[in-house]
Amino acid sequence: MKAGFRQSMAWLHTWGGLWFTWILFAIFLTGTLGVFDDAISHWMRDKGRAEAEAPLSAEARAEAVRTAQAFLAGEAPRADFWSIGLPAEDDPALRVSWREHDDGPVQRRRLDPASGEVMPASLTRETEGGHHFVHMHFEFHAGTAGIWVVGIATLAMLVALVSGIVVHKKIFTDFFTFRPGKGQRSWLDGHNALGVLTLPFLFMITYTGLTIFWATYMPAGIVARYDGSREAFFSALTEGPAPRPEQHVAADMVPMAPLLAVAEQALAREAAFVSVSHPGDRSAAMRVFGRFDPDADSDRLVGRSSGRVQFDAVTGELLDVQRPNTTRGGQVLAVQRTMNALHFVRFGGEPMKWLYFISGMAGSAMLATGAILFMVKRRRRSGDEFGSATPRVLQIIEALNVAGIVGLGLSCVAYLWINRLLPLGIEERAAWEIRLFFAVWLLTLVHASLRPPMRAWREQLAAAALLCLGLPLVNVLSTGDHLFAALSRGDGESAGVELTSLAFGIVFALAWVRLGARLRAGAAGRQAPGHAVEGL
Amino acid sequence: MNPPSLAPRAAPAVLSRVLAAIFGGYLMASMAVVLLSHLLPSSLPEAVLGATLFGFAFHVAAVIGVFAAASARRAWALLLGSSALMGALAGLLELLGAQP
Repeated sequence: MKAGFRQSMAWLHTWGGLWFTWILFAIFLTGTLGVFDDAISHWMRDKGRAEAEAPLSAEARAEAVRTAQAFLAGEAPRADFWSIGLPAEDDPALRVSWREHDDGPVQRRRLDPASGEVMPASLTRETEGGHHFVHMHFEFHAGTAGIWVVGIATLAMLVALVSGIVVHKKIFTDFFTFRPGKGQRSWLDGHNALGVLTLPFLFMITYTGLTIFWATYMPAGIVARYDGSREAFFSALTEGPAPRPEQHVAADMVPMAPLLAVAEQALAREAAFVSVSHPGDRSAAMRVFGRFDPDADSDRLVGRSSGRVQFDAVTGELLDVQRPNTTRGGQVLAVQRTMNALHFVRFGGEPMKWLYFISGMAGSAMLATGAILFMVKRRRRSGDEFGSATPRVLQIIEALNVAGIVGLGLSCVAYLWINRLLPLGIEERAAWEIRLFFAVWLLTLVHASLRPPMRAWREQLAAAALLCLGLPLVNVLSTGDHLFAALSRGDGESAGVELTSLAFGIVFALAWVRLGARLRAGAAGRQAPGHAVEGL
Repeated sequence: MNPPSLAPRAAPAVLSRVLAAIFGGYLMASMAVVLLSHLLPSSLPEAVLGATLFGFAFHVAAVIGVFAAASARRAWALLLGSSALMGALAGLLELLGAQP
């Protein structure tokens, strides 16, 4: 390999890595937390002590669909879509949503399945739960624009991985090398060891992250070969029923409740979810989805369908049945589904989720050490890489490091505190939790820009440690539920959230203590300038 | 060659490479996907999907190539040249009606 090539890759790795590092760290950290989104939602909804709801009878399910159709026909007789989530064991509400136009906002309501009344908000601890982290992970709550930002950063991650391998000459020997307490050298060793250890995971998770949105990110093939008709393309790819484009002709729909019974009989499984595309239009189609069976596919990479049935919602004609535990489409589609399953860790159960969690945290730490290493190098000997603006630019990078790394961790645990402290029953409670999360994150950036760098690091580490260690306490004080109660009732999800928070609290506290010791050593030994900052 | 510098006077060359990496690389990868969708031995929708799954790897290779190239001008020439070539080949296959 020519030295020139390695040199240009080093440049690309340093600068390409630096400018994307904060956004990538945010994607990695929130994605890693998102592995346990269900457990986090369970804790946030304070569901630990709730009795599971009795399963609905077939009559009650049909009644719920009747209620939902009456409600939706009143709210949006003609719409882009309706969806109806039937009451389930973890949520007794009938969850309806709709969108009037394909570029409009999605409206959501929670209904009492018997009366059809909108449920008052005060009864529920309304929250996005762990989905907040998942949405941060793939779109930063910014819709299509966010998906593109994440996509560009993800491509930059792949480039950083490839260029990092080129730069890293002694990839095998260095894996066994860690020289702690040696300042810059230790940060480099840590960055290398973490990167090499998780390299296969990082390649897998990054590439499969891009291919989930393949049709959004790279539509060239569909545009060129299908004249851009996505419906026709996907219908052919998934061997599904023919697409039903909107006809803009008003038509009355049949009652949907009797069709639900037909669908459940065809699937030999109870329904969980119903959707209608273009309700009120001649093209209206009703789809019934079977209940997901979490145990059916945990030993398979290619997930199988939970079953679905499609009707013409105007005539009631049965158009298509896909039975549960079957797959459609050819081998390439199976490959793509496998890649999705790898990304979403839809296989292997809890042990595999923990393996992903640990690997994701190691990947996050690799990104963080890379960003810190950049500054540690320059704190000692800052050149003039940005001309006369160099000191100012380095100051901004340092502040982004503090807020982007510790500040984000702090904001994530603050989100759990906000969930417990925000009054129940306020308007848009779930949205306020997320707004306050962003407000806290912004505050960490303001704090990091105003304080001297080392103090900013220490103060945010201390705050993060206190928030993590105090989480079980705020739970007792706000809900009365606590760790030992969760453990004694065998509620691993609630206990897991608090135990993990305590573990992170200890890590933050140790980092705080260690940085403090380093700074004192540096202050005592003025004869060795740069020693303390280097040892961060 | 020396790696690109970040000094202010080098900014236009660096900017040109960054634009080549993002947009030129995307164009090249897209053309490679369209061409590959003609060549893969599966049904049409599966070939389109399969080609696109490779597309991101082409883009990564393009970015690496742009920053390894001797100059920004050369990087642009390579990307635009290969895109045009692959686009022309794909157009030819489309005209011939050659289905994989």
